[in-house]
Amino acid sequence: MGRGERIGKTILTGFAWIAVLYFLLPLVIIVGTSFTTTAFLRFPPEGFTLAWYAKFLGDPSYLHSIGLSAALAASATVTAVLLGVPVALVLSRSEVPGARLITALFLSPLILPPIVIGAALLQYATVIGIARTFAALFFGHVVLIIPYVIRTTIASLARFDQSLEEAAQDLGASGPETFRLITLPLIKPGIIAGSLFAFIISWINVEISIFNTTASLMPIPVKLFNYIQYNVDPMIAAVSAATIYVAFVVVVLLDRVIGIERAATNRA
Amino acid sequence: MRISRAWAFALLGIPIAFVLAFFVVPFGVVLLDSFRTKAGMWTLEHYAKVMGDLYYWEVLLLTFKLSLYVTLATFLIGYPLAYYIVRHVKSRLIRSLLYIVVVTPLFTSNIVRAFGWMVLLGRRGLVNDVLIATGAIGSPLPLLYGQTSIVIGLTYIMAPFMVLTVASVLQNIDRSLDDAARDLGAGAWTTFWRVTFPLSLPGVVAGSLIVFTLSVSAYVTPSILSGGRQNVTSMLIFQQYGAILNFQFGAALSVVLLVTALILVGVYLIALDRGRRPA
Repeated sequence: MGRGERIGKTILTGFAWIAVLYFLLPLVIIVGTSFTTTAFLRFPPEGFTLAWYAKFLGDPSYLHSIGLSAALAASATVTAVLLGVPVALVLSRSEVPGARLITALFLSPLILPPIVIGAALLQYATVIGIARTFAALFFGHVVLIIPYVIRTTIASLARFDQSLEEAAQDLGASGPETFRLITLPLIKPGIIAGSLFAFIISWINVEISIFNTTASLMPIPVKLFNYIQYNVDPMIAAVSAATIYVAFVVVVLLDRVIGIERAATNRA
Repeated sequence: MRISRAWAFALLGIPIAFVLAFFVVPFGVVLLDSFRTKAGMWTLEHYAKVMGDLYYWEVLLLTFKLSLYVTLATFLIGYPLAYYIVRHVKSRLIRSLLYIVVVTPLFTSNIVRAFGWMVLLGRRGLVNDVLIATGAIGSPLPLLYGQTSIVIGLTYIMAPFMVLTVASVLQNIDRSLDDAARDLGAGAWTTFWRVTFPLSLPGVVAGSLIVFTLSVSAYVTPSILSGGRQNVTSMLIFQQYGAILNFQFGAALSVVLLVTALILVGVYLIALDRGRRPA
């Protein structure tokens, strides 16, 4: 290795670790300030207290919002899996006419402006009479997260040897039996990974939710958003830190299920 | 396993009906509404208002300009990091940790991430504190609540997309091509510019498209980090729906944003295609 090359390598390594710091810094700041004993945001924190966590956990409106977000994310994820897995199966195992169009249809929520999807849903929900209800939030979130389930499931279906399925069918298994005994166990990690992605995308969404919320129907990200625009204090840092812990747990789960490297770069 | 036509239609029926009902039709409603008055008469007045008022042009232009800066910045930060992770990190554990560092922000709400930058960029924030302590500046810089903070915040939010799309392409590049270039006498730098970088371009293109389209439509980050002092298009759209309650005009703004973004993406792809063809 030449001298120039070594210098290049050192610069790249240094840059990469600065980038790592950059990725961590805002999250570390929030977690740090959530423990401060001061009444205002302070980093590095002064002293150590869990009082801000106790404060928001003692506030029923926060617990209500967290419960709502969890219920919304869970129900939307289950629905997205029930709708998305069959679509992925058909798209990778049959030749339906218009397969490209169908793929584009289901994946387009990934690139369309979420704010426009949210606006469209409010307008539509007003027309059909479900504006600002749980149903409106639910339908919007399912549409938003279906692509994640479909993408990861298609990726897992493409990964394994299809002759396993053929063997099962040659031995007399019916289509549904083959799916239950061969295909499903093999694509299960992909489906779980897709569900984790889907859950977290719903859990952190603001743009679609914000159009269909009311004071008593407010997912936690929207509640945080409304609060942060007018007031910032260590309690809001504690609520924010709690959402970072959730993100971290989901990332670790993803790593356990299929490995974070595969989850992050192949989307399963 | 082959799925028969009959099964395929049966399996697709409900999902397609669902997406039509709660995605396609709502967009249809927006499109139709953008051509209607409040009373339901057909009109082009909303589009005339957008086109005729310089203010909307300025906001649109600003939206696209900031998105362009964000796309460039995510490339400058994301590409080297992706390259380092894929090509230089030998240990599986460290590679996993690096991916965890990149993905965890992605799984954290935009609000929380923007909030982190509020704390960092404030007058008494860490960035100003450090700059003053090192003597680089005398008094705090007004970093927060302007275009700068919007670009910084959005870059942070979009960077993971760039890292991950570039990394997934770099991963699949055959390393023996590098070896061949080196064997033929090319240096590390030449090998990178002549072999690796061109092969990784599809990842850069995909990453830029994701970052650009998401930046153009970002709402949460600009509204928190502008402190309401700088409007981008998505904020105008939300004001129409949330505060002014003029759904029809909001619909027209949404259509304009969507169509302009699609046109720019199209132009970018065509330009790229032209560039790749030998002259």
